[in-house]
Amino acid sequence: MADRIIRHSDLMKLVDEVARKRRIIGPVARSVPECEPPVRYFYEDVERADQLDLSFRYCVYSPKRFLTPPSETLFAFDQDDGGFVAAPQYDRRPTALVGVHPCDIHAIRLYDRVFDLEHRDEHYFARRGATMIIGMDCPGPCTDGVFCKDMGANVAEAGFDAMLYPLGTDTDGDEMRYAVMFGTKAGREWLLYSRQSAAPNADDERAFEKYQADKEAAFSFALRTRREDLAELLGRSYDSLLWDATARRCYSCGSCNLSCPTCYCFDITDETDLASGSGRRWREWDGCHLPEFALVAGDHNFRPKAASRLRHRIYRKAVWIQERSGVVGCVGCARCDRACTAKINSVEIYNQLAEEA
Amino acid sequence: MTTVDSSEREARADLYVPMSAQVVDVQQMTDLEVLLRAAFDGGRPLDHCPGQFVQVSVLGVGECPISVCSSPTRPDYFELCVRRVGEVTAHIHRLEKGSVIGIRGPLGRGFDVAELHGKDILIVAGGLGIAPARSLIQYVLDERQQFGAFHLLYGVRSPAELLYRDDLTLWRESPDVNFHVTVDRPDEQWRGRSGVVTTLFRELPQLDPTETMVAIIGPPLMFKFAVLEVLARRIPQNSIYCSLERRMKCGVGICGHCQVNNVYACLDGPVFKYGQLKALREALE
Repeated sequence: MADRIIRHSDLMKLVDEVARKRRIIGPVARSVPECEPPVRYFYEDVERADQLDLSFRYCVYSPKRFLTPPSETLFAFDQDDGGFVAAPQYDRRPTALVGVHPCDIHAIRLYDRVFDLEHRDEHYFARRGATMIIGMDCPGPCTDGVFCKDMGANVAEAGFDAMLYPLGTDTDGDEMRYAVMFGTKAGREWLLYSRQSAAPNADDERAFEKYQADKEAAFSFALRTRREDLAELLGRSYDSLLWDATARRCYSCGSCNLSCPTCYCFDITDETDLASGSGRRWREWDGCHLPEFALVAGDHNFRPKAASRLRHRIYRKAVWIQERSGVVGCVGCARCDRACTAKINSVEIYNQLAEEA
Repeated sequence: MTTVDSSEREARADLYVPMSAQVVDVQQMTDLEVLLRAAFDGGRPLDHCPGQFVQVSVLGVGECPISVCSSPTRPDYFELCVRRVGEVTAHIHRLEKGSVIGIRGPLGRGFDVAELHGKDILIVAGGLGIAPARSLIQYVLDERQQFGAFHLLYGVRSPAELLYRDDLTLWRESPDVNFHVTVDRPDEQWRGRSGVVTTLFRELPQLDPTETMVAIIGPPLMFKFAVLEVLARRIPQNSIYCSLERRMKCGVGICGHCQVNNVYACLDGPVFKYGQLKALREALE
């Protein structure tokens, strides 16, 4: 049962309401003539709801950079002869992420776990705590090659403040109507704050049921191995020649890491003003496919080959992150596969391993 | 009671903000290694376990993971042996008595000293491995009545690389430890034993497999041969500890740099049991 029903124009008014108090981030259409299709969607800062395009199929990148930015200051410091003073920096700007697909919601839930496993990373949670998430459900696969159903990430039952389900256009017009589910009290309050939404009537309920059934039929599995069996599959595949065979094409460019909504590895660097001694320590995204990732002092590289780096990433995504956090490390969005400059395809890897085993 | 303002409290709670410590002594041990003695302001002990590490900051330059090489039984200070291998360590080598450094830690998992109590102890150290080993060596010597027999084997490539020379003299003369040292490539002045560290196993008496705990700390190649010697003496794999060297960055199990298959050296280690380690294919490659 849906909690509320809202029309697109009313939703836009509600988003504008939010925009008075929060920075709004959501899908924006950008013309990229050299790409096919030539219009691409990106999560961006907007000032008004009408800058969003909620009819987007998928965004090229996940919204992860708004929760753990490509580069962020951990602390600023001042020093003199007597020592140093360090002041940690937290970004607590009230923010709303609008139009987040289930896969990316799962990825954020993963971050919520991994940034608070043994130690709590306040830099992440400062942003996270200030961020409201308004999800947008997918009625079907957003594009070819996704395997979100395999990873259990084409549906999100939690991890949002409110979730929108595009039911289709009105009978008396061409305006999109959404069913809404509340995820949190904040989501509920947002929607009930004004009279823009309505309680679902019997027709709405039928429409929502049909939506769910159509969605169920629209997604299919892409992997030959069930998610629960990936650990066993990879357990048998550590010495497969496939890692070497596939990694022959790898340029070690790290595009897979960059575009992955669940990648969160980082490097730490200092910057200082020599005259004053003041400076900052910041972190920036790093990627396990980059050749220097496992390089240590004395020039020893613990993963010198592209094959060992590819294997490391796939093991993390399919097994290791889940072993540590209880949350599956891949959401099946296939951004890594689309971003790969060498057309390395993770679905293909899993299925070839399954064939070998 | 001193009051702490909110920003200072935030800094203390933050995973990435180092605490200020003062260098109280510096000793150049070799061309490459310096021994720093440091203490927190106000004399607060580091409160570490033997085998744990800290992240040492030179603000504006960076941070690097260094094993604590002194024992928690000497709480007035902690010591760090730093090999000059890069930018941060080069700056650490320029520190003087009175310099201030940043410290995060103690981090990671060290030796489980409670499990070692009452046992015979064998420590095998190769090269720079003597640094983390020394925190345990000092611990055993300071708490000598808690342990049975204590054997210590140490090997380096050449006499010039021997670390902690004062300690070596002490250990050689002490009735509390059965200490042997060897160098791979002796020079003309060297009067001691030569050969790889595993040749020192000949000096050991019969070890009791159920009563002996072993710590092997050194480069991967040495570890493989040393563990073979120990297993050959029928010591169970879970009675063998070793310490892994990786480039920890965050030090708290998040950034991914020190990951070894599915474990984080900074969190689950750097000290591991051999039984756990042998399942990790990347550990000893």
